[in-house]
Amino acid sequence: MNQLSSAFTLFLSLLVEAIPFLLLGVLLSGMLLLFVSERKLIALMPKHPFLGALMGSLIGFLFPVCECGNVPVARRLLMQGAPASVAMGFLLAAPTINPVVIWATWTAFRDQPEIVVLRVVLSLSIATIIGSIFGMQKDIRPFLQPSLTRYMFSDLDSPEPAAQSPSNLLQTGTFFLGQPGKSLQSSVATLPAFANIPDPIESKPLVDRLQMLLENSVKELRELGGILIIGSAIATVIQVGIPREIIINLGQGQISSILAMMLLAAIVSICSTVDSFFALSFASTFTSGSLLAFLVFGPMIDLKSIGLILTIFKKRAVFYLFLISAQLTFLACLFINLNVR
Amino acid sequence: MTTIRSMSQLKPWLDVMAMGAWGLLMFKLWFTGQLYLLIHPNYMWMAFASGFVLIALSILEGWRISRQRRYVDAEQHFTLIMPSLSSSLLLFVAIAGLLITPRPFASDTALHRGVMDSLSMTRNKPESFRSNSKPEERSLIEWKRTLDVYPEPDAYTGQKVKLQGFVVHTSNLPDNFFMISRFVITCCAADVYPVGLPVKLTQSRSAYPPDKWLEIEGKVITETIDGNRQLAIQPDKLTPIPEPKNPYDY
Repeated sequence: MNQLSSAFTLFLSLLVEAIPFLLLGVLLSGMLLLFVSERKLIALMPKHPFLGALMGSLIGFLFPVCECGNVPVARRLLMQGAPASVAMGFLLAAPTINPVVIWATWTAFRDQPEIVVLRVVLSLSIATIIGSIFGMQKDIRPFLQPSLTRYMFSDLDSPEPAAQSPSNLLQTGTFFLGQPGKSLQSSVATLPAFANIPDPIESKPLVDRLQMLLENSVKELRELGGILIIGSAIATVIQVGIPREIIINLGQGQISSILAMMLLAAIVSICSTVDSFFALSFASTFTSGSLLAFLVFGPMIDLKSIGLILTIFKKRAVFYLFLISAQLTFLACLFINLNVR
Repeated sequence: MTTIRSMSQLKPWLDVMAMGAWGLLMFKLWFTGQLYLLIHPNYMWMAFASGFVLIALSILEGWRISRQRRYVDAEQHFTLIMPSLSSSLLLFVAIAGLLITPRPFASDTALHRGVMDSLSMTRNKPESFRSNSKPEERSLIEWKRTLDVYPEPDAYTGQKVKLQGFVVHTSNLPDNFFMISRFVITCCAADVYPVGLPVKLTQSRSAYPPDKWLEIEGKVITETIDGNRQLAIQPDKLTPIPEPKNPYDY
């Protein structure tokens, strides 16, 4: 009984601490995306693979999306003609390299500021490396889903596509709903052709934009909140239910702790805005490197985002993406475990 | 058919109720002071503010839905869990939070989280370490931090101690010892960890059952426990106190 009540206290405390950050992330990114033109931003992006990847990784600062919002934005960036390196850098880094996430990480790890710094540095490096690799490809299209390339081809052929029924790329699981009209109707297979439509966000009246913000925020909160609850429940069960000796044995191994945390990150799919609180509950028993592995790997690849990433890339590309990011995370965190104390 | 329609008409209201319930829960935790059990005081205003935002969102969304004639279910894309399941889950947890009073952690959690291993280590780096503070004004965590910096127990022998905490019976201590303990919180209850100091009694510890809150006045002695020389407290006075509203140390 005692154990049950401490489990409930723990579970509730994770939620109460995380929900303000989730709210902030949802509202802030919704607002920025409804009021900032990403078109103009793309025009500024460098074409060079490395610089593009670095820039792409950094623009997360302007678009505080978590890993559910980054996929549709990355996809839209690609469609609007952003270099592959930029889109890839953004895809991988945006969930971590943004003010809300950094603040939340700082809140959780005030005592270990090195975790906050290393999280940012590692995420940025890995995203830039992978972005550069993909940016090196002369032609990115073999890696992309046919539905996407078809659209990109038609864009090349006819620079002025008919401004037909505007449908929406940005669906639930995005942090925003920046596209016009009857939102949330397109399925993944039917790609809209709005790349050359004058910036739709700016042409919307304020009241409509606010209403879209509301509608979108509610959707986001519902979905991310649901996952947050499941994630917190898992963290609680592991903390309270599994004997301490097992956790400590697993958590103190230099290699086993990293692998365990990466696996956990991939399964739990907790939103990057609040994942630091989840990681915090393991801070006393797991190595710092493994906490970092969780915080770096989770936002890039997890069950939830793989489904979303498959709407952009073919299976093979997603597999490479998974393999390279997993290896880089593992090696970097192992290095930290072995050399930094 | 009618049931299906009324079910689908009900769905959007789940969100309204879930957000409203979470807003109320934040207010309840704030006004009853139960928030102290859950998160560090630095972040309480955030929980409180988000209560307002959630209530506002709930009202606005309710207003939006009530103006909509027909509910369009447009959830055909990939989601990890079903939207209505997600809303129900949020609503369910909020209601549970409204009905159940969170309890502070007790000695079994202290044992589970290793009050024993923390005898000579704290996870916190001292944030505000004041070496000149009077010994009898040090809290448990301040004693721990002091010991982190200079662990030799003899250096403190004879110093006055006045502490509040709860009783933990650990298996490595002889029967005439218990551990006076407190939890330390840095962010939320997920990261609380116990700190404690052994207290030496003249009788069996069974007079002081686990989880009992005490105020201890006494002085510092050095004891060898489990082969380790360490600091312990010899109490002059042990006063039972009610469990404090805010049980954590910072």
